[in-house]
Amino acid sequence: MRALFSSLRDGKGFDISLIAIAMVFLILFSGAPLVYNAIMSFQEVDIFNLGTFIRPWVGLDNYRSLFADPSTLPIFWNTVVFVFSSIAGQFIVGFGLALFFTLKFPGAAYLRGLFLVSWVMPGLVVGAIWNWILSGDFGILNHFLKSVGFISENIFWRSDINYSLWAVIIANIWLGTAFNMILLSVGLAAIPRDVYEAAELDGATAIQRFRTITLPMMRSTIGAVVSLGLIFTLQQFDLFAAITSGGPANSSNVAQYKAWEMSFREYDFARGATISVLMIVVVMIASIIYVRSTKQEVRG
Amino acid sequence: MGNKLKLMLGGLLLSTAIMASPTLAEEVTITVWSLDDENQPAFNYAKEFSEMDNGIQIEYREIQFDDVVSESMRAFATGKSPDIIAVDNPEHALFAGRGAFLDITDKIAASTIINADNYFAGPLNSVSWEGKLFGVPKATNTIALYYNKDLYKKAGIDAVPETWAELVDTARKLNDPDNNVYGLAFSAKASEEGTFQFLPWAQMAGGGYDNINVEGAVKALDIWKTILDEKLASPDTLTRGQWDSTGTFNAGNAAMVISGPWELNRMLEEAKFDWGVALLPVPEVGSARSSAMGDFNWAIFSNSKHPDEAFKALEYFASQDDRLFPEFGQLPARSDIALPPTGIALKDAALKVFQEQLKYAQARGPHPEWPKISKAIQDAIQTALTGGATSKEALDLAAAKIETILK
Repeated sequence: MRALFSSLRDGKGFDISLIAIAMVFLILFSGAPLVYNAIMSFQEVDIFNLGTFIRPWVGLDNYRSLFADPSTLPIFWNTVVFVFSSIAGQFIVGFGLALFFTLKFPGAAYLRGLFLVSWVMPGLVVGAIWNWILSGDFGILNHFLKSVGFISENIFWRSDINYSLWAVIIANIWLGTAFNMILLSVGLAAIPRDVYEAAELDGATAIQRFRTITLPMMRSTIGAVVSLGLIFTLQQFDLFAAITSGGPANSSNVAQYKAWEMSFREYDFARGATISVLMIVVVMIASIIYVRSTKQEVRG
Repeated sequence: MGNKLKLMLGGLLLSTAIMASPTLAEEVTITVWSLDDENQPAFNYAKEFSEMDNGIQIEYREIQFDDVVSESMRAFATGKSPDIIAVDNPEHALFAGRGAFLDITDKIAASTIINADNYFAGPLNSVSWEGKLFGVPKATNTIALYYNKDLYKKAGIDAVPETWAELVDTARKLNDPDNNVYGLAFSAKASEEGTFQFLPWAQMAGGGYDNINVEGAVKALDIWKTILDEKLASPDTLTRGQWDSTGTFNAGNAAMVISGPWELNRMLEEAKFDWGVALLPVPEVGSARSSAMGDFNWAIFSNSKHPDEAFKALEYFASQDDRLFPEFGQLPARSDIALPPTGIALKDAALKVFQEQLKYAQARGPHPEWPKISKAIQDAIQTALTGGATSKEALDLAAAKIETILK
């Protein structure tokens, strides 16, 4: 008994109990819902048997009917376009801003802090504001593009099937840029100044310095930013709800919004879960790649 | 904790229990969930009912429109549902068809206050399932055509459109892109609102949710497409709800709008022009009329422990129906209540038209799988209007989907 206590207080038992607490939390709040969700995707679930665990088992029927639906593939394709364009946009603009703020000019630190405001705002508020900006008849964006002379006729960002997905992407890039910038700024600050000074003395140009010093030394930060970006983008729901509701004609619908529609508009929880399972698989593959790519970094 | 303290606490608990028990035995508490806030009927009725000396207390909870179904179904699934709920009428059958609502046919037959014959056919149909009554209509509404009289005068139009062809024609005449004026505003949004606006057109032309691909319904969708293709209505019609669409009418950016009586108070405040309301245009001169039917119903959950008390509350709510319009601006779902004039000329004239239009209002469904049926119709509207398929193809696909649901 005493040995157990002393091990718990100072020894292996202590280590194990620390890990155990974290594991219990993980299993309880992440593992169990994931498994529950996966099980639901093999059952027939509607709102009346939602509270019970014993529900009709339908095997792969939910997956079959999902892929038999002609709207499914375009929605998955939209998801790919949304994720890649959003991450690319957020990353490029965010990196640009981060580099810009490494220049020491008066007020740089305050200005950088101000950019975080967009990240702090709730998605639904951001969505509502972009809803006005992107509005077809009286939107500011159209007014601006028209007065600059880029367009002669209003673009109906939210209602034209060629633009609706891009309307949400634009808003999402705006929303996520600040977060990218802050993480990348931290990465930039961690690079020792003297490396640059030495390179400068050796006659390296700004572009060469960026390619051979900044990018390689930022590898793990960039990896983290992109994988977090993937997760945040796949979670993005509020903007769709606020701007296009996935419409018109599913042209801006993505997997995560569709999953919600299935579960809470049509009350078909099983098929909502089915989409979630497919998304989990994608995120898992991405995290495995991420973990493996940063592993070498740590050892090296 | 010292033993003395424990003893004292125990004694205290005991004495409160003894003091509280006599009142607990007499008072029955029932719970009511509705989306009404303190300016709307249910909140006030519940308060008044609690204040009456009848031994029944109401615990009132306000829920958001979007949460009504999911919240209450979760509550029902876990056995914690309220006694009474106000539910949107197309979703009534979802509950009734699965046995979640109490069959109150006999209670209504025995009631001296609620008489089923007094209700309009449409609302009454929405609380029915397989010939039984599973609730009482709370209020009702419908849609009609609002038009800007000043713009009519300016365009030299003196007749309100009565047929679909006339509607398109009038919209063309009123359309004025240079001044940011669209001929018409309505909602073809991919939500229940889109179904709500389209179904009346299909019904007037002999269709319905169970035969959505009849020739007349195809023609209706073609007309919607013409209106959008010629930009007689804003392209944002596809993603905008009725409230926002009517906002453009109030601002003078649309000459006509299809919407309901819930807009009246806002329009009186916002619209700086003379306006009127007309019945929805029909396919041809002399065609049968139809319109949508909206608003909520009362129902008692089947697992309520106090069904009799809950029904008494419903009786009280129904007995106050004559206050709906004067106090809260809502239309009672009953034909036996005469609505007194408000003294506001525009409102009184509009009210007459809406009451006439209500006679033709048809319930959506009722069917327990209504959300899925509605989704099929929304998909068809959106596919056709964005050019993904012809109206016929889109509606054929919707009809096929609905058929598998109805089987």
